[in-house]
Amino acid sequence: MRRVLLMAGLLVAATGVARAADPGADTDRVERGRYLARAADCAACHTSEGGTPYAGGHPIETPFGTVYGTNITPDDDYGIGDYSADDFHRALTEGELPDGTQLYPAMPYTDYHGISRADSDALYAYFMSLDPVHQQSTQTDLAWPFSMRWTLNAWNWLFAPDDSDDSDESTADRGRYLVDTLGHCGACHTPRNAFGAVESDHRLEGAVIGGYEAPALTPDALAGRGWTASDLTRFLRDGRSPQGSMYSEMYPVFHHSTRYLREDDLSAMTHALLGDDPPEPTPLAAKSSTTDGQGAQLYLDNCAGCHGSDGRGVARVASAMPGNTTLRLDSPRNLVKVIHEGIEARSFGTFERVQAMPGFADDMDADQIAALATWLRQRWGGHDDTVDTAAVEDIIGASSD
Amino acid sequence: MTTFDASRRRFLKRSVIAGVSVYVANLGSPAFASLFEDKVLAPTDDVWRAGEGMRFRLDGIAKVTGSKVFARDIRARDMPHWPDQQSHAFILRATRCDARFTGIDLSALEDAGLEPDRVVTAQDMARDGIEVPVFYGAPFFLSEGETADYLGYPVAMLIYHDFVRYRLAKNRIRAADEAVVYGEATGYPEKSPYGAFRYIRVGGEDGYAPDVFSALQETVLYPDFRKRHPVWPEALENGKDGERAMHHAQQLADQLDSPDEDIFVFDGEYQTPYIDHFAMEADNTNAWHDPDTHDVHLVCGSQSPADMVKRMTPMLSDSGFESPRFFLHPTYTVGYGSKDNTIFPYYGLIAALYGDGRPVRLANDRFEQFQSTMKRHPFTIRNRLAVERDSGRFRVFKQELTANGGGRANFSNSVAFVGTTAAQGIYYMPSSDLIAKAAYSRMPEAGSMRGYGTIQTMAATELMVDEIAAAIGKDPMALRRANVFKSGMKNTQGAIPAGHLRGDEILERAEKHPIWRERETRKREYEAAHPQHRYGVGFACVQKDFGHGAEGVFSEVRLRPDGRIEIRNTGAEMGTGYSTSQAAVVSAWLGRAADVVQTAQTDWSDLAMFETASPYTISQSEQDEAARDPRWTPQLIQASSASNSAYYLSFPTIEAARVIFRHALWPEAEAYWRRGIGGGQARPYVLREADARWENGKLTANGMEPLSLAFLAERAHAAGRVTGVMAHAFNRWAWSRADFDIDGTSDNLPLDGLAVQYGRGAGPDKKAAMDTARGFHRLERRNVDYPSTQRNNAGVTYYSACGTLVELAVHTGTGEVSLLDHHSFLECGNPIVEELVHGQLEGGLAMGIGHALYEDMPLYEDGPGNGTWNINRYHIPRASEVAVWKQTAEILPALSRTDPPKGIAEVVMIPVAGAIGNAVAHAINHHFHRLPITPERIREVL
Amino acid sequence: MSERDRIPSTPLHVTINGRRQPVEDVPNELMMLDYLHEYRNLTGTRYGCGIGLCRACTVIVDHEDGTSEERRTCITGAHFFEGKSIRTVEGHAERDEDGEIASLSEVQQQFLEHFSFQCSYCAPGFVNAATVLVERLQREPVAREALEDTISDALEDHLCRCTGYVRYYRAVRDAVLATPGTIKEG
Repeated sequence: MRRVLLMAGLLVAATGVARAADPGADTDRVERGRYLARAADCAACHTSEGGTPYAGGHPIETPFGTVYGTNITPDDDYGIGDYSADDFHRALTEGELPDGTQLYPAMPYTDYHGISRADSDALYAYFMSLDPVHQQSTQTDLAWPFSMRWTLNAWNWLFAPDDSDDSDESTADRGRYLVDTLGHCGACHTPRNAFGAVESDHRLEGAVIGGYEAPALTPDALAGRGWTASDLTRFLRDGRSPQGSMYSEMYPVFHHSTRYLREDDLSAMTHALLGDDPPEPTPLAAKSSTTDGQGAQLYLDNCAGCHGSDGRGVARVASAMPGNTTLRLDSPRNLVKVIHEGIEARSFGTFERVQAMPGFADDMDADQIAALATWLRQRWGGHDDTVDTAAVEDIIGASSD
Repeated sequence: MTTFDASRRRFLKRSVIAGVSVYVANLGSPAFASLFEDKVLAPTDDVWRAGEGMRFRLDGIAKVTGSKVFARDIRARDMPHWPDQQSHAFILRATRCDARFTGIDLSALEDAGLEPDRVVTAQDMARDGIEVPVFYGAPFFLSEGETADYLGYPVAMLIYHDFVRYRLAKNRIRAADEAVVYGEATGYPEKSPYGAFRYIRVGGEDGYAPDVFSALQETVLYPDFRKRHPVWPEALENGKDGERAMHHAQQLADQLDSPDEDIFVFDGEYQTPYIDHFAMEADNTNAWHDPDTHDVHLVCGSQSPADMVKRMTPMLSDSGFESPRFFLHPTYTVGYGSKDNTIFPYYGLIAALYGDGRPVRLANDRFEQFQSTMKRHPFTIRNRLAVERDSGRFRVFKQELTANGGGRANFSNSVAFVGTTAAQGIYYMPSSDLIAKAAYSRMPEAGSMRGYGTIQTMAATELMVDEIAAAIGKDPMALRRANVFKSGMKNTQGAIPAGHLRGDEILERAEKHPIWRERETRKREYEAAHPQHRYGVGFACVQKDFGHGAEGVFSEVRLRPDGRIEIRNTGAEMGTGYSTSQAAVVSAWLGRAADVVQTAQTDWSDLAMFETASPYTISQSEQDEAARDPRWTPQLIQASSASNSAYYLSFPTIEAARVIFRHALWPEAEAYWRRGIGGGQARPYVLREADARWENGKLTANGMEPLSLAFLAERAHAAGRVTGVMAHAFNRWAWSRADFDIDGTSDNLPLDGLAVQYGRGAGPDKKAAMDTARGFHRLERRNVDYPSTQRNNAGVTYYSACGTLVELAVHTGTGEVSLLDHHSFLECGNPIVEELVHGQLEGGLAMGIGHALYEDMPLYEDGPGNGTWNINRYHIPRASEVAVWKQTAEILPALSRTDPPKGIAEVVMIPVAGAIGNAVAHAINHHFHRLPITPERIREVL
Repeated sequence: MSERDRIPSTPLHVTINGRRQPVEDVPNELMMLDYLHEYRNLTGTRYGCGIGLCRACTVIVDHEDGTSEERRTCITGAHFFEGKSIRTVEGHAERDEDGEIASLSEVQQQFLEHFSFQCSYCAPGFVNAATVLVERLQREPVAREALEDTISDALEDHLCRCTGYVRYYRAVRDAVLATPGTIKEG
């Protein structure tokens, strides 16, 4: 009880508006803030593995070094307990802290720039309603010159958008707002320039982060890999669809964010991604492919136990291979990475847990991975080309650094 | 478990006229040496040490070297006389209960050239007259045009005569939904409950005074059903027993509905999880219908081989198949209840009949096992308890529970009954009204499982007690002490439990244990060091009945001239160490452990005994009449379940060994000691049988020269004394007794059937008397005394107690619970092999932890019946989740060396579940009513 | 049988428990567990879950450099083992010329004396995992105080439903301590 009162006081003090007069509105705002925090996937960076939500600590790999998500619970010492709603809004949308220091752009404030003030206040109300966690997050250690925060002001001047449209609630706008602003999909799926800023004229055209490809999410690219609107909505909601399951950095997006979104918001996101008139999904080209040879036998020896000798997978256990989005991607990067490193155990809901896929780094050399990847892509990915050993070495070599 | 198997009489009658001879070729007969226990069991001389006991499990060497011990390990080529070629089968099951099944579509297999060699469906059953035993309710296979009663209902069996084709076909049909075709939508089926009953008791002045009303004294209530709802008798103060019962129930309800000011009434609803046994050996059989002799052979692990024989023989003889002889080959297995009266082996038998003369193996994969095997019954329990605010004393307890039995009849009635009659836990309830219902639903069937209704009810009781303590401001341990059940008090059925009850002693020990004593200090310290965690300590204590309420047991003990001991017994080895403990129990009388143990034996024709009606439903007059025939017994053989092995199944083994001691070893020893002039070495001392002791493997008494077993055995054989005994015992919450003339002496024994064997020096009369198949002299009993049928209403009388203290931490952010430590207190009489008892305890704790924290499934379309469940989704506790390095336990010292060993395999898993719930309440101040306590559920309340 | 002949198969060369196995045509898509059971009648390696989680199907693959690793045979194809040498639970004890057990391995003996297993269905996986661990510690000893954690890490993935793991873990600790060279001095 004491804590609740304290928070109500904070709200009043922070915003300078007598909002505490209507506790019902506050509850609604907190709930709305909780939903927005999920849509904005704050937890992905601000929650450590197995840690208290929003107490900070998740490492974010950037091309320049590792950035750690901060503690955004209302702790006075280590969190945002002393932020006003204005402070919060400025940090969220401008990347500027109350003391004037500039946040690293790992915090997607360039995307969040478009968050409406009402939504910012709801987010603020929600974070202020949490139990404060008295825990210092890990300090960020970046390569020079990015370790010098003052340089970021210059970065902002160069790359941050200077304004944004306030969103209204039409489906298209709502979808754009969820995809581009709250969901900050572009933070990974839009390529960045040498300075680490997203190339806004290549919106959602795909990028490589942490060694994995964040695939292109343009309508043509999605349709080219066989995505329909309903599959895409399902993918966001369930983390899985006939095209495969979420893994690597996309899994936390599902885990912390998209699984909580309302059906209409998911549809709006799908709509924003595929457009008003989604292109027809490209059917999987019927490629003749052998069922013997080195690649085929590698598949039977190492993969078929779970994915099935016919590649159909096992419901709730292992993804089906035909048309799998990882196989259909133009680049073999993700396929090679997954074969090499495996995938951690994941949960897609209370009763939907998938065991880890083992990595085969110790079992297969680059030649074998290339043979397996080639065979998989040709048999079930609609490709004709061959993945060569050098490409595999390039991919796994880069990832083992 | 108590069965409500009113159909048993029918099976017996049919098997008399069946014309199928039953041969149980166990893992013991030379004909099947590859399978047998002489391969599986180590030489006793390696295992047994005088004064030390069993150094390791008799089956340990075989098991640790990967020998064939499970039915799962057996292939046709391992079976002598079987052809080498092994066929394989699997079952297609319906995954929808809302539409008619219209047929199967195997075109995907046909396209791949993998069509089965034989498809078996309901049409075959109808044509060939194969009927499901009444116990299991609905037919084996769903007929076309019908809607499945439950998810996972078999629609067809596919048989392949070649392993590779079978394997490839199964690989391709894993996503089998398209192979089963549905038509018109019908909606879900609805059915009446399997049963319901009510135990009402109004105690006297205290727990010792005569009851005003009780089930044991008057009656249990069985309702009529109207529109699937139970209808109870009218409440009449001076009516018949049932009507008076309802009058009392009305008065108890009034006390709960309008309590006095000084009374606190707790009212809470509990929901228990949907649990899979996860016996690691999934159900499987290997069976052969010999095309030449038409004999049927079945290899199968079972907790209830005798029940299988009893139902399979009439099934065969009534069918269109010629099958003059039926051979059952029981193997070592693992069950936790899942192999107790399961329907699975009957499909194995069917596979053989349609195997075109080839042995057919039917072995579930894990998805199929989740889909088809019996589950623990999910319970919904409403508990109300009136408590005196000042004293904390319990006054009126009312429970209404529904056990979800799933879609096929099994032991649901008895699970509901055992659950509710155990609900009082370790507390005395002055008055109680227990209403239990076993309901049909479309989930896969629920059946026997470790805990058998009591982990559901007793864990709820223990959660309730802590919640009440918090509500009325009492220390939970003090509240327990104020209400603890004392020896001589009456249970909720009105029966006085056997012997001394030691729940209060466990409370005393727990209260002194550091985990409890220091809990507040530890909480402060832990939370200071771990700011994101809340620390909690919880305790729970239960006493649980063991046994079924009807225990028919055979045992045979034979002493060879060289001192070797051979045992045959009805119990099954399910991993508990049963074979090891059976070998050990005879050492009390014979000075060493047995050399040969044959388990799961069902052929006891030497005693020529028979049963008629169900021991549970037989009337007193029927029993009195039947008992005049000296070969009648209320029950021949009970299954291995309900923690019955240590006490009940050992009982006739010990008695048989005692007969050999009294009629062979002691007389020979006495004769030897009295040999010589003037009474020999015995003369100067007083020699008494009661002083006989085995020391270092030798028999002595009152300072006499120690004599080895081999020495005495040789002399007993030479003298023609009793060297082999076959015995039958029956227990209905008390043992039956009878007089027997053994080798010229009359003994009153707690047995109702007895046959003996004499040594080689026996005279011609005695030798001629040994005329049974195995060479025994069957003795006629006199003055048999069976426990009255009224004792059926006692519910339970044999209890063992267990308490567990749990120390845990709850992560406030994620809701994850970490078990830091736990300590258990177990009361089990004199353990036969203490290491085995500890093993049961540790394993039970892990299972209880799973029940409390991890294991659950949706019941219906998203649940295991849909065939997509495996342990990636169903979390089995890992070592890191059971405090594997830290946990400790103590076994309460027996009251004396004469305490019987008690059954404990179930009680050990229960308190930890309640203790975890109570520790979570201590940590985060929320009393959960629903298990498991998952991180999601914790996050919801934080 | 004509369809059977169409099933793609390849001769498999594998050494099990020190013995080269007869070379047979083995279907390309057969899992190793099926090969052990149906072709070699070695049934000690057990089917538990079929999805590589419970580890009852674990065998040991011995590498030429003297190291070894656990391998799950329910999800690994038989031909993965082409040219490889493996140990199964049947291969640990020493046997006399009649094939009877003459003496158990240290791990097996400790499991026996600790009453470690009950039904024993999972025991083969535990025997193999513990053996791999003991052999690894002989090559790479650990400090005594790190032993319990080392055992926990090595065995965590192995599931048992009967025992609650306590007696397995204690037995493995004793097996390590009874094996010279597994613990770092000082």
